[in-house]
Amino acid sequence: MRPGRLIGKTVLALAGFMAVFPLLWTALNSLKNNVDIITRVPRLVFTPTLANISYIIGRDSVMIGLYNSVIACGVAVLIGVVLGLPAAYSVARYPNRWAGDIQFFVLSLRFLPPVAVAIPLMVIWLQLGLYDTLAALIVTYSLLTISVIMWLAIPAFQAVPKEVEEAAFVDGYGAYSVFWRIALPVAARSLTGAVAFSFVLVWNEFLIALMLSSSNAKTLPIVASELSQQGMNVPWGILNASVVLLSLPPLLFLGVLSGFLNSVFRQKKT
Amino acid sequence: MARRSSLPVTFIVPTLAILLVLSMVPTLYAIVIALQNRELSSTAYSYVWFSNFYDLFFDRRFLNAVWVSVKWEIVTVAATMAVAIGLGVLMFEVASPRLRNIYCLLFIIPVLLPRVSAAFVWKFAYHPLYGIATYPYRLLTGGLIFDPLSKPATALFAVASVDVWQWGLFFAVIVLKLLETLPPQPIEAARLDHAKRWQIHAYVTLPMLKAPLISLMFVKMIESLRSFDLIYVMTRGGPGVATETLDMYAFSQGFIESGKVSYASAMAVLMMIATVITFTMLWKRVQA
Repeated sequence: MRPGRLIGKTVLALAGFMAVFPLLWTALNSLKNNVDIITRVPRLVFTPTLANISYIIGRDSVMIGLYNSVIACGVAVLIGVVLGLPAAYSVARYPNRWAGDIQFFVLSLRFLPPVAVAIPLMVIWLQLGLYDTLAALIVTYSLLTISVIMWLAIPAFQAVPKEVEEAAFVDGYGAYSVFWRIALPVAARSLTGAVAFSFVLVWNEFLIALMLSSSNAKTLPIVASELSQQGMNVPWGILNASVVLLSLPPLLFLGVLSGFLNSVFRQKKT
Repeated sequence: MARRSSLPVTFIVPTLAILLVLSMVPTLYAIVIALQNRELSSTAYSYVWFSNFYDLFFDRRFLNAVWVSVKWEIVTVAATMAVAIGLGVLMFEVASPRLRNIYCLLFIIPVLLPRVSAAFVWKFAYHPLYGIATYPYRLLTGGLIFDPLSKPATALFAVASVDVWQWGLFFAVIVLKLLETLPPQPIEAARLDHAKRWQIHAYVTLPMLKAPLISLMFVKMIESLRSFDLIYVMTRGGPGVATETLDMYAFSQGFIESGKVSYASAMAVLMMIATVITFTMLWKRVQA
């Protein structure tokens, strides 16, 4: 068993290394001058520079992309919370004979190929004169956030002990204040995870943003992908810096999301 | 909890109405556009009914895209599940609780990255001259050049490896959590019967987790449909049409090469019908 364990541990360590090294390498490259990147033998020792990062931050297109991403994703997530959480609570606590169908409908929205949604939406927004606006992007993203938040929040509300809510009813709380004062706070941790997940999903979204924007409403992923289309003439360090900037916001949620994952599986155990 | 209250109605009706409008309008409109002959360059159009669909069946590039998409699904789903189960079981067997927590955090990182970022990270890494992933090959062969993204035989696998990097590692965490929820008694019993470690997993734990593992595979099949970002950044469907999946081809027909919006929409509608039927059937199976 001994050598087996050793091999197992080595494989795991290698996988852990593979998980983060490419990203760390990108972050390192964002601090390099071009001469230190374009080398046949990778260079670990180099004189670091902040030129790439300051170039990225100083570019208007990047800042506008960042602004668009923050607004579009923020508002869409907010809409998802306002519409998705109550609906999820209602499905979880007041099940009717359509509850299964509603859940399936919400999930089935995820089957829709993004191109199949993006092409007609582009035509529709063009006709309404809303093409290439943040409003169009927000409405489109809301479909994503509402359905994902609903899908993840239903089990979160179901996990709230029924007795707690029953007791509140006995104390004379109405249905709405039970939702507001009991269910929401008790399920808050799982719900935060669900909301964070929906944010990461729309932040990372690419195809719909690409098809629904041409200049004004470009989100950060689109701006980043365009930097590279100028070919390899753009210094790699700058491209790497833009990748780092794009990747930071979702990584901020790493703690919340791994906690969410843990709580989901702790529920299953009991 | 059967209390009389207006809550269920006020909470769910507006949300469902909005979801229905937001999803049905584009879907139905996609079908309408597919029956027309719209182009990006002009506003005039007329109904051509099924001729777009008819043309698709004789479009060799479309048939190639179908085949590439099927390959992509099979390769990414199978590799993701293999990596997830392999690493999940390994963590369960050899890692201490503290190490498990560290690995879990590390393994979640790739999936959180925007696909565009992941694609760039690996596009650089696969660069034949300066890439970090091709460096070992250059080192071992004394400077020979290996360019995985520009060879038709390897391009699809090179892009798929990024998808597996993101999802396989993430699913390994879930497999570990699933293993941790299992009751210890059957594992103990098998151990007392002198079963080997791999036998315990092959015949006891993994069969016990059959249902959640199948659900996991189902999720991956759905997520694998979203290959566009990776392929768009890494290969643009190339070399030639080696990595041109359906959404990539639909996009380039509709927006890059010819602006045939209706033709692209016809493709998208076929995709939509195929995925909705397949996944609805699979879902009913999984639930049953």
